[in-house]
Parts: sequence; structure tokens; C-alpha cells
Amino acid sequence: MIMRSLIDLIVSSDPAVRDLSIESQVGKMSRPELMEQTRALDRFRRDHENLYERVRALFFLYAIHRFHLPNLVPESEVGKIAFEGHQHFLQRRFNEAIDVFLVEQERSGPSWAVSSALAAAYHRLAFQTLADQVRKSVKTVAGNRWMFRTGNPDEVPLKIRSELLERNAETGYPILRERTSVRMDFSHSAWSDIFFLGMDYPQGARVINASINLAVQGRHQSPEPPLDCCLRVIDRPVLRLVSIDLNAVVEITQLSQVFDFAADYVGLLKAAVIASGLVPAGLEGHQADIASVLRPLVGTGLGLEIVSRVNDIPKGSRLAVSTNLLGGLISLCMRATNQVSALTGSLTEADRRIVAARAILGEWLGGSGGGWQDSGGVWPGIKLIEGCAAAAGDPEFGISRGRLLPQHHVFSQTEVAAETRQRLQDSLILVHGGMAQNVGPILEMVTEKYLLRSDREWQARGAAIQILEQIVQHLSHGDIRAIGAATDQNFSGPLQAIIPWCTNAYTERLIARCRENYGPDFWGFWMLGGMAGGGMGFIFNPTRKVEARQWLWELMKATKRELEHALPFAMDPVVYDFEINDQGTQAQLLSGGSYPVGYYPLLVPGWLRQDIQSLSNETRAELERVGQLCRDSEKDLASKLIARILPGKTDGSVSRQSLTELLEVNGFDPVAHQQLREDLLAGRLGLAQNLLPSTTTIEDVQAGDVVDCREPLTKSIMELGRAAIERGEVGVVTLAAGIGSRWTQGAGVVKALHPFVRMAGRHRSFLEIHLAKSQQTGRLHGRRPLHIVTTGYMTEQPIQAAVERWQQQNNVDGVFVSPGKSVGLRMIPTTRDLRFAWEEMPQQVLDQQQQKVRQSLRSALMNWAQSAGEAADYTDNLPMQCLHPVGHWFEVPNLLRNGLLNELLQNQPQLKYLLLHNVDTLGSAVEPGLLGMHIQSRACLSIEVITRRMEDRGGGLARVNDRVRLVEGLAMPNERDEFNVTFYNSMTTWIDIDQLLERFGLSRSNLADAERVLKAVRQFARRLPTYITLKDVKKRWGNGQEDVFPVCQFEKLWGDMTSLADVSCQYLAVPTWRGQQLKDPAQLDGWLRDGSAATIERKCDFVA
Amino acid sequence: MTISKAVITAAGKDQTHLPLQTVVDRSGRARSALELVLAEVVSAGIEDIAIVVAPGEQDRYLAAAGSFASRLTFFIQHDPQGYGDAILRAQAFVDREMFLHLVGDHLYVSDHSQWSCAAQLVAVAQQEQCSVSAIQPTHESKLRFFGAIGGTPVAHAEKLYEVTAIMEKPTPTQAEQSLIVAGQRSGYYLCFFGMHVLTPTIMDLLAEAKSAVANTRTDASASLNLSDSLRKLIQREKYLAFQIQGQRFNIGETYGLLIAQMALALSGPDRDRILVELIELLARPK
Repeated sequence: MIMRSLIDLIVSSDPAVRDLSIESQVGKMSRPELMEQTRALDRFRRDHENLYERVRALFFLYAIHRFHLPNLVPESEVGKIAFEGHQHFLQRRFNEAIDVFLVEQERSGPSWAVSSALAAAYHRLAFQTLADQVRKSVKTVAGNRWMFRTGNPDEVPLKIRSELLERNAETGYPILRERTSVRMDFSHSAWSDIFFLGMDYPQGARVINASINLAVQGRHQSPEPPLDCCLRVIDRPVLRLVSIDLNAVVEITQLSQVFDFAADYVGLLKAAVIASGLVPAGLEGHQADIASVLRPLVGTGLGLEIVSRVNDIPKGSRLAVSTNLLGGLISLCMRATNQVSALTGSLTEADRRIVAARAILGEWLGGSGGGWQDSGGVWPGIKLIEGCAAAAGDPEFGISRGRLLPQHHVFSQTEVAAETRQRLQDSLILVHGGMAQNVGPILEMVTEKYLLRSDREWQARGAAIQILEQIVQHLSHGDIRAIGAATDQNFSGPLQAIIPWCTNAYTERLIARCRENYGPDFWGFWMLGGMAGGGMGFIFNPTRKVEARQWLWELMKATKRELEHALPFAMDPVVYDFEINDQGTQAQLLSGGSYPVGYYPLLVPGWLRQDIQSLSNETRAELERVGQLCRDSEKDLASKLIARILPGKTDGSVSRQSLTELLEVNGFDPVAHQQLREDLLAGRLGLAQNLLPSTTTIEDVQAGDVVDCREPLTKSIMELGRAAIERGEVGVVTLAAGIGSRWTQGAGVVKALHPFVRMAGRHRSFLEIHLAKSQQTGRLHGRRPLHIVTTGYMTEQPIQAAVERWQQQNNVDGVFVSPGKSVGLRMIPTTRDLRFAWEEMPQQVLDQQQQKVRQSLRSALMNWAQSAGEAADYTDNLPMQCLHPVGHWFEVPNLLRNGLLNELLQNQPQLKYLLLHNVDTLGSAVEPGLLGMHIQSRACLSIEVITRRMEDRGGGLARVNDRVRLVEGLAMPNERDEFNVTFYNSMTTWIDIDQLLERFGLSRSNLADAERVLKAVRQFARRLPTYITLKDVKKRWGNGQEDVFPVCQFEKLWGDMTSLADVSCQYLAVPTWRGQQLKDPAQLDGWLRDGSAATIERKCDFVA
Repeated sequence: MTISKAVITAAGKDQTHLPLQTVVDRSGRARSALELVLAEVVSAGIEDIAIVVAPGEQDRYLAAAGSFASRLTFFIQHDPQGYGDAILRAQAFVDREMFLHLVGDHLYVSDHSQWSCAAQLVAVAQQEQCSVSAIQPTHESKLRFFGAIGGTPVAHAEKLYEVTAIMEKPTPTQAEQSLIVAGQRSGYYLCFFGMHVLTPTIMDLLAEAKSAVANTRTDASASLNLSDSLRKLIQREKYLAFQIQGQRFNIGETYGLLIAQMALALSGPDRDRILVELIELLARPK
């Protein structure tokens, strides 16, 4: 193959060259050749204006530094990440960061560390460039620009339509009501609705979606448009925003409140108010009353009320509920202000397009994002949505090949017959599986893969486009069975080839059961939106649909129960009835009082709490109407009002009872807890107090401080370790008490049991992978090491069950579960700590609008902490979510306290060494060489460290006041020090059991003495620092809604063992794949692609 | 064809009293607003002037017309059937000739050293021999008060545009999508000045529209606007818009009369005196 310049791949007009993968070109390049390519690409991306060219060059540079250059650089070539570069990175000055890292690379040559920093900076810069372009394009869409120019309330150019000001003496001002459906996509041609893909590859950007009405089985009678919005004039100069489903009523009196998106639950309504131009975006920052905007808009003394209601559709439905709600609200507000042609009825195509453009703007304002097909519910029926080439006059012309907004072709009844639509409804079972996951990382991965054009993924993209063509054909022929086969093939083929993470163990299990149970009558699986697990479709032979629907519901509920400890479910699964909406969004002008269900029960209690004289005339009249309604006909309304007004018996006491029991059972120490609270309030403990004294000198390790084990070790060392394994002298301890706060953003599942990756044919959990490695050790060395899994209050039972199941399936034993013996109760954080975490600690600044939303949210959380009581017990959640594990240090003493180690030593007295590792350190396994190094050193602990990379934050190995030890990131007094540190702590530790017991003042002979063990553990614990940390915890409510709160907890950490002078330690540098920890799902794709996953899979023996 | 006739509409519901207001003209003389409008018309060389008024207003208008009273022909709009209907009342008066049309609730201040606003417009219309609407770049925040055009600049003719689209009181959302004209400042649109020279075709179009309305609507209040007929005019014949060197003031807006008065005063010999008065007012504590 001819080796080409990578720039040729970017600029070539020949698809055969342009679509070549980067792997095909760089695979055989030498290090100097590759370095030359990176220099040329970097010059190229700086000199070129074209969006696609710049972004593809940036992704090439990212890929080279992330996946290719490190293969040509020995890990032992140590490099350091310049602190100044990192500072630039955090502040989103990615260009400046890159400049600093490149200087470092020129000075000391390529290294893993610098490449990791460059990869991260190029990656972020690429996405920043794309986000900037989308933002610019949204602002420059004709019809959107004026809103950014309006900088003064006097300039607000809109006026409410006169029809809405025609007050009726009986019923008040009329109500404009808009009802909008959601969209269900048949295929998105492998996420081709991502803005950048449509703008760069318009011919490949194709989606078919249908607007659908929904009914939740068991709750609703028949399908109807699930999104319901109303607008009316009110007789007070305020903007009242009401979200019925989120139980939120906010009266806005100041302009600045409109732009405070996260202060309450009406952020989406606020985004709609701004995006529709009622309060133009240019007014942000203006200090004025909202009345100054309402006066020209509605009239003196008058205001507006906007109400939204989502008809019980849970979050994560993959039906673009929020975008279509935004679309419906924007349409409503634009109708009311004459910005679209029709006050009522349908919208014209031109109107729908401007509403869609505004919805994109609204999403950007709210800091969220979606694809360009998402406002499909505004359009009627089934449609083909396609990217279109930018032409002269378009704001995108000359910048990108395609336009920001696609074009919609609504299939006529001739193209897709009414019978076909009916047959689809008769076959497809639409469900919400119960999982609500963040699809954002998937969309980033798709963009990256599109630009890198890896062979397999590029072919998959082509296949996905062909499948869409087939679906169009099948729709025209009315062949639903073939549609099922096509969507199924789409999911199992191209979609998973591009993004393996779009499926999960839950979905796979459901599909397998459908096939087993229904055989040829199961026509296929249908992935909706960005990923499976939430909203999904299952197509059945219509003759069996009714029974299959009930069966599937039961199956989902049962499977959820089985997996709910392992996967982040937000709610119980539901099944929908649906029908295709052939009208698109529709508005009606109704007389006053015609509000959606739930409006009065939400509003009336608030009115009743006020002095009747302080209510406006309109509200008083409204109260009279409600009274009349209750008396006349609406008995249901009356009972709902009573339920709201009068207190009923709550189940809060049950929760409190269960929390108290849990605390007792899990070894909660109330005295220590009270002391902790007092220390927190007095300022003796806190995030700032975690730090070592500022006079501490922290330097990098010196030659000889670390033993390099990245190259093969000597035969004698290997033999030493091998013999110890064969003799049964080693066991493995997997620390699994944690609940993976970062992994699931506080969802409270057992991370160890999360089946996150497909290995040997099916999804495997962290725990299964660790056990499979022990299996292989056993096969290779004739004796499988015993394996201990430590647990905590939340993980013990599920892990115990999983271990039993695994032992049964594999027909083995020797896996032991160590129950937790300590638990803490989370507290409301102090505002001092929140400020320290958010204002003093280095933070990754987010993209412009997201940062604003984050600041708004943080301000709200600060208020929450104050009003809930600083350092008060956190009890306003499920009991399990209120407890916390007290740090992984306790998991080793727990082995002493719960008697497990004693029992094991009794049964296997030759046991001398333990390999302790974190559950997310997947590469960790019993390696004879490393064990040999540990035995030979006679150290109490041998700690494995890895070369520090950009993402490895949180301390490392350093000389602290001239003593080599591990330092936690939260104890580093100066952030700069962390960047002088070459090695990162993998947490994997080889332990000499007898020496460790000796340090505790114990020995094998007295381990049975529980009191002595407890005393020894307590004494030892006092020698270690207690850290205060903030963790995110999710509180779930409503229909899959989730709030995330930062809560305060304390921890003692294993790494601090190295700070004790009487604990002898050695440090072993190991390959990165062995020590890398998987903390965040966003790491998964890189971990898979850089070969780490394959290396680890080779070290596993999966039996079942 | 020379232009010798003008039609002024003043029959709108809230409009009847406006031309009767007293203002001080740029020379310092107190006159009625109507007198100023008539002076504007006459300055363009027009002798015959028709005024469309509401029933019962004729005498008051006659009194307010001052020295121009003798040139006036009155037409009565008995029912408020819209702006277009008011113009149509003068169909017989126009008699297949081009005519100047002004709205009665606007005052005009020319920035041209010699020519009034009406004179500028009439000159262009006579040269081009077609309908020409006076226009003025207007900030988008004022769009809700005016009709606005979209168009393309006429080659080699300054400030002259071929009209391609007309919208009555558009929102900026609509204007940005349909009324962008090359060369205009961002956020500004070419809005009607309240002054047009129209060919007799407009009367045909208004008559057609009126009969169409009569055929489809039974209620007496059915309204006939001018913009719809102007939009049809684009299809029928050459129709241009000319950016006047001057300003127009809608005295029907809140503070409209005050602002018009200020503009008149500041454009005359009393400019310094008015400025001093204004500064003194501004300097007073609130």
C-alpha cells in the first residue's frame, strides 16, 4: 500500500482517498515519520478555516497521540505534563495548552505522559470547534439573529396577538393550547443526525422517524399527544412558568431569573421563553424587572402564564421528549406573538423549520443537546429527514458542506399506505425498559469514529445507510416483518460495530428471551434514539402482539429485579400503546379554565395559602370557577385538591425506621459521627483540612525508588513467584465495597456487578473478569489462588448472590465474600466545603452555556445546603443512598474483624501473600514475576504504580519531606506538585500477611480474639488521616426524574499505609494496561481501542 | 405622466383627531398637523388633494386646513372598512392618473437641503413612471408599527429598490426570513414611510379585493388593507421603493406628537433655544 500524507486524506476530493482510515496509513510509520506527520497536521489545522478540515486534522492528531505514538515509545521513557498546559486545559484554552505540551515534547521527546496530554487537548479542541460552529450556525439561522441583537427591554419587538387579550367576563383570558407528539426513529443511519455529521456529510445524514401519540399501559385509556402546553395572559405583571409533571410553579419577577436555568425545575420552560423570543437572548445580563419586557409585549399590569405537561412519559424514553416539548412550547409562544403564520391548527412547513431551529437554540441555551431529527414530533406522520448541501446564501456556505438544518419529506398516504401504518401499530410493542442513561458520551464517540474512518466502522456506516434505504422500501411495500428484520440487523450489526456500548446486558437478555419464547413470531428488535435500555421497540407477529405485550412487561420487570443492583435503573419498566400522529403539532384557542389535568391541584393550594385580598381579581375568579367545578362535576378534581391541601399519612416513618435498622446492622458509630459533625462545623475537618501542611516538600521519586517491572523479569524471580502460587501461598482481594459514584453518577448500583463489556461472547461484569483471571492463574500454575471479594453495606448481598451463582455455573469454589463492618451516614455539606470544592479546587471549565447552567445549579445547591442544615444528617433519600462506605482502607481491617482471614489461614495455613486491588483495576492479576519481586523484597507492602497520564488525577508516588510514599490528590497542598510526579498509584498492592498483622499488633494465633482485633484496628486507624470528601448522590422521583446532590462523607484511604514509617514498602512500575482504573464510562471506548481490553481478555478464562 | 393629484387618508378609528392637533412648524409658526401635511403635498407641485375622513369630520378638517382649504375634495368613509377601502373612496377623484398618497397621522421632516420628502418621491416616480413607495430604514424593534418591504437594489440608482415582498407589521422573525435587503445594516428593515406614488392599477386591485371580500365575508366589518393589493401590484407592473432623505413621525404613537414636534423644532432656526431648554430639563433633579 502506498503511504500517504495524512493531509491527503483530509483534502482529497476522491472518496477512495478521503475515506481511508488513519490506521491504514500510520500502522507502518516509524516514530520519526509519525512525528513529522503530527507536525504537518498541527500546522495544517492552524492554517485552515474549513471546519471539516480543521476538525478532522484535530481528530487525527488525537488518535495518533492516544493510540499510535505510545506504541512506538517505551513506557519507561518518562515524560511530564507541564502544569501550565494543564491550567490552560482546565480553562478551555486548548490551543494554548497544546502549545505548552508541544514545547515539552520538543524539549524532552515524545512520551506517554505528554502524548496523553496532547491527545486530551486535541480531543477537547475538536469538540469545542464543533460546538462553536453549531452555536454560530444556530445564531445565524434567518429568524434567530434578531434575538441576539435585542439588548434593551424597550427594543423587544413582539406583541401578543389581540385574540389572546380578549377577556371574557366569565372565563377570563382565553387559553392557547398546543399539543405535540414525540418522535420515534426507525433508523438514524448510525447517529447521522448529530449536527456535525449532517453538516459534513449531508448525503449520509438520513433518518426516518414518525410522530407518535402515546398511552402508558395501565395508566391511560388511549394514545394522545403526550406533550401539552398552554399560554394565557394573566392580570399580574409576572411570567408564571408551570411544569405540571415536575410539580413546579415559578413566578418570575426579574429578567435575570429567566436566564438562571438550574435554579428550579422550569429550566426547559425558560429555554423556550428565550428561544421563542418572548425574552430575547440579547437581554441576558440586563438588570430589569420582567414587567419592563411584559409591558410592550402584553400590556401594562399584565403578565403571561406558560404551562407544560408531559403525560407520564418517563425520562430516557429515547423519544426526544424534551426536544419536542421545547418545540411545542416554542411553537405556542411563537403563535402567540405572530411569529408563525397560524394562531391555531397546524403549522406550515416554513413555520415548522423555524420552530425546529429555535428548539436547537433552546437546547443549546439549556446546556443540553440533541440531534437534528429530534423535533420530529412537530411534523406530522412518517418522514424522511435528510441533510442538505449548503448553497450560496446559507450561513454555512463555505464553512461546511451541509446545512445545520435538514429537510423533511413527509411520506404521503401513497408512499406509506394507511394499512401499513396500522400494521406497524399492530406489530410493534414500544416500551421503556427502565434505564435512563446519558447518551452524550456515545454521541462524542460516534463523531470521533466518523472522522477517523476506521475500516470496520466506516463500512458499518455504509451498511446503516443501506438499511435505511431498505426500510423505506419495506414501508412502501407495507412489509412490517421485513422492517423488523432490518431494525434488528441495524442494531446487531452496524450500530454495535460502531458503538458496542449502545447495547447492554439487560437489552441482550430481553432480546434473547424474545427469540427463545416466540421464535419466528418475534420479528425483530428496534433500538430507539442513541442507545438501548430505556425506550425500545420489539416487533412481533400481530397475531401474538397482545399476549407478547403482557409477557414482555412481566419479563422486563423480572429482569430488572435480577439486574437492578448491577445496572442503573431509574424506574420500573413500562409498556406503551402508540399511534402515528398524522397532524403534527396542533394548537387550539380555548376559553379560560380549559387547563390540562393537574393544573388546578398544583396551583390552587398556593392560592389558598395567600390572603384572599392579596390575590388578583383574575385569580379570585379562577378560585370561584374551581369551586364550582368541584361542586358540579369534577369529583376527581376535588379529591386531588383535598389530597394536596390536607396532609395525609406519609411513609417517611417507614424510611426512617429502615435507615435506623441499616445503620445498626452495618456497624454505624453514632459517637464518632457526632464528633465528625462537630469537627466539620468547627472547621477542624473539611476539604481544606484534608491538605498536608503547606510547608511539606513534595518531589518526584529518584532513581532507585521504583523498581521497573514493565520489561520481562528474570527467570529466577518468575520461578520464585510461580512456586509460591503453586504452593497456595497467595490469595487475591478484590475491593468491592464501593458503589462507583463516578461510574453511574451516584446511581447507587454495585459497580463490581455491572456487566459493562462483552467478552467471550457476552457481557461481563468487573467481578466476573477478576474471577476469570484467577481461573487462568489456576490453569497456568496448577493452583487457583483463593479469591476474596470485600463488600460493604450496599454490595454485600448482591455480591454474595453473584459469587454463589458464579461458583455454581463454573463448578468451582474458593471465592469468599468479606462482609463490611463499618458504615457512615452521609451529611449535608457545609457551604464552606462546597465553595472550596467549586471555587478553590481546579475545575474543568465547561463550554460557555453549560458552564452558566452549572453555576446556576451550584448556586441552587448552595442554597439547598444552607436550608437543609450544614452538616446535618442526609436522610432525604432511599435509606441505602444515605449511607456511605467509609473508604477502602477499612476493607482490609474488615477481613480481620469479620473473621474471614482467620478462617482462611486456618484452612490454608500456607497462605502468606495477598494481592489487593480495586474492583475497577481490571488488569490486575497474580503475575509470578511481580509476586516474586514482592517475596524477594521482604517488604510488608509492594505497591504497583503506572506512568502518570493526563486522566490520572488524584495524587501519586512522591518523595514527601524526603520519604517515598503515596500521596492522595486531595492531600496535595499545591496542585503544581502533582505535575512533578511521574508515577500514579494503581492501588494494587502485594501484602505480606504476617508483616501486616504484626504492624496491627496481631499475629495468626490471636486473630480469633475479636475484642483484641477490634482494639488493634481502632488503634491503627487513629494513625491514619480522615479525609472529608464530596460525592454525588442521585435522588430519584417522579417518572424517572433524577436530582444529583453533593453530599459529605468521610474516608480513610489505603494509600496512606505508605506514610507509616514502620510499614516497609516497595514500589513496582507496571504497564499501564495493568494498573489503569476504569472510573468513568467515557474511558471505555479508548480502553477497548488501545488494546487494553483485549490484553485483559487474554488473561481471563471464562468457563460459563 | 405628471402627478397632480394626492389622496390623504384620515378616517381611521383612532386617527380622526390627529391631523387637527396643533404643532409649531420649523419656522416657529403654530399650525395644525393637517396644514403641515398639506404643505408637504403642495411642495411637490400638486394642486388637487382628496381627503378621506370619517362621517362628520369634514368641517373640522376644512377649518384646520388653513390656506389650503380651497384645494381639498372630501370623501367620507362611512364604515371603518380598512385602509385600502379608504383609498378606494377616492377612485373617481384619481381618474386613471398616477397620484400621491399620504397618511394623515404622519408628519415629515426632510433632510434634503431643497426638496421636501413628497417632492423627492414625486420626482423619482415621474422619472421611473411607475408606482414608488417611500421607505425608511427602521430598527427591528419598530417593525410592529409599519409595513416593510423586501427588495433588490436597482442598478445605478441610489436608494432605489425593486420591491419583491411586502409584509404588514412583520415580526423580526418573519422579516429576517423574507425581508433582508442587500446593503442594509443588520437589524434594520426598509419600512413604509406613509407616502406612496401609485398608478391607477392600485385602484383596480383594491376594487378587486373589495369585491372578493364582499363575496366571501358577510360581516360589515371586513377590512381591506393596502398591503395585499401592493403585493399583487408587484405581479402586475413595475413597482419600486425609494429611500427618502428625511424622517417620518407617526403622531398616533405614544409621545409621537411630542417627538415630531421636537424634530420639527430642532430642524429650524430655534434649534439652539430648544436644546438649551432640553438640557435644563435634563439637569433638573428627578
